[in-house]
Amino acid sequence: MIRPTRMSGGVAALALVLATIAIIIESAAAVLAAGSLSIFLLWQAGRFERDLASVAASLTVSRDVDRTILRQGVEAHVRVRVDLTPPPGMEVLVRDVPPVVATGTAPLCEPGRIATYTIRLMAPGKTSFGGVVIEAADTFFTANLVCRRFNAPQIRVFPNGVAGDGQGVGASVGDAEVDRRSPLAGQGIRGFRPYREGDDPGLIDWKVTARHDALYVRELTGLEGGTPLIAVDLPARVGDLETFARFSMAVSGAVEGAINSREGCSLLVVTGPEVIRFLPGTMDIREALDALGRLTPVEPRAPLYRSPGPAILTARARIPPRGAGEGETVYLTRLGGTLSAFAGESPAPFAAAVREALGRVADLREVRIFSLLQPGDKSHLIQLIHEAKVWGMRVTLRAPPGAPDLPGVDAVEAI
Amino acid sequence: MTDRRFLILCAGEILVIAVGNLLAALVIQILVLAAFLDDRRGYTIFIAAVALYAAAVAVLGHILLSLIALAVVLVCGYAALTLHDYRLTLWAGGSA
Repeated sequence: MIRPTRMSGGVAALALVLATIAIIIESAAAVLAAGSLSIFLLWQAGRFERDLASVAASLTVSRDVDRTILRQGVEAHVRVRVDLTPPPGMEVLVRDVPPVVATGTAPLCEPGRIATYTIRLMAPGKTSFGGVVIEAADTFFTANLVCRRFNAPQIRVFPNGVAGDGQGVGASVGDAEVDRRSPLAGQGIRGFRPYREGDDPGLIDWKVTARHDALYVRELTGLEGGTPLIAVDLPARVGDLETFARFSMAVSGAVEGAINSREGCSLLVVTGPEVIRFLPGTMDIREALDALGRLTPVEPRAPLYRSPGPAILTARARIPPRGAGEGETVYLTRLGGTLSAFAGESPAPFAAAVREALGRVADLREVRIFSLLQPGDKSHLIQLIHEAKVWGMRVTLRAPPGAPDLPGVDAVEAI
Repeated sequence: MTDRRFLILCAGEILVIAVGNLLAALVIQILVLAAFLDDRRGYTIFIAAVALYAAAVAVLGHILLSLIALAVVLVCGYAALTLHDYRLTLWAGGSA
């Protein structure tokens, strides 16, 4: 039901006062004033209702979930965009409604903007979203309207493998889990998600693909298990807003996942050749998120000018000077000498800082680098990857699709 | 801004009462409320409703009867609004 604002409350109070005055002084003009203000409010309420109905009729919702088949308790990232046509004088905000079995809340945002949030589905079975809430307000009235028609996509949650005595897949909270072989049981598979460009074709699950008539890939538990060092390369600028939103969501999700793993989160935040923050094994999610500094873009103060770092320079200097011809051999010999001289003299403070940081978390076996890989110098990432390799760590790069290859990266995952 | 506008509305109502004449009060009231609004879509409907009420006040010629008639109109209007709101909620919820 619509609710009055402070302004309409004031107008109603004024109408009451005028009605009282009309009775006291027996004035037809005062009766008219009181009556016209009351009719005015009634007319405004009717107009507000009509506007609200037109807003609801113009509503379109576009919602993406990164995986629609997943294991109970695993987080899913949601991106939703709500478009509508607000009438003049009406302010409208929208909020997505997660499934009833999900933990996590959606942010309130303006129509036409993409909202991103994370949910965790706590009960097995098939579930879908609860629609969207329209929060509309004008000068005289406000109202919340829940539109449940927009509940796609449907999400299928598999139990964690606890045996029960049920007869089928749970459809709501309270249904027992079944003691039967689940597609996600005992295979190290955390969930399935639609195939994205750049995914390894070997990860396509053909049974799920055939069942849903769309390509689905397996997400292995091992790839997200454990607590890798999370290295965040802060971009110099926001660039494409949608890509930046996906980047922020991926970083926050990785940090949250690492802390929830109860082994702590090791976080390295860099911008260009500068270590902004380093947190080894924190269990405090607030401290970790503070270290990320809201992922605000930071302009690097000291570019490396495409210097791959002393270690790589030294390695290059050791390359035998064997060229295709005499001229090339001479060139390579001279280049080796020059590189050797610079490699020895280069102070390389960034490489030293990264080496020291990695030395403090040397027990970790993987570095997961999050970067937008914006155009420009990527020497700092090359140095970071090289130092990780020196410590024998596996390097996974999470970057937007179509990002350029970096030497030494073991796996690339699309953000 | 909103508070100042409300004070201007209060001042306008004092003027409406001070005029004494019903027809003049009707004109001033319509002008005051028009100045009070930013968005005047459908304002003619409101003018028609207020003119009808002014006619009712003139015909009835009694203050209490006029106020009772107003109360009846408001109750009916509130019932209609509630019904519309209920149907809208059902439609948005996917039940209708």
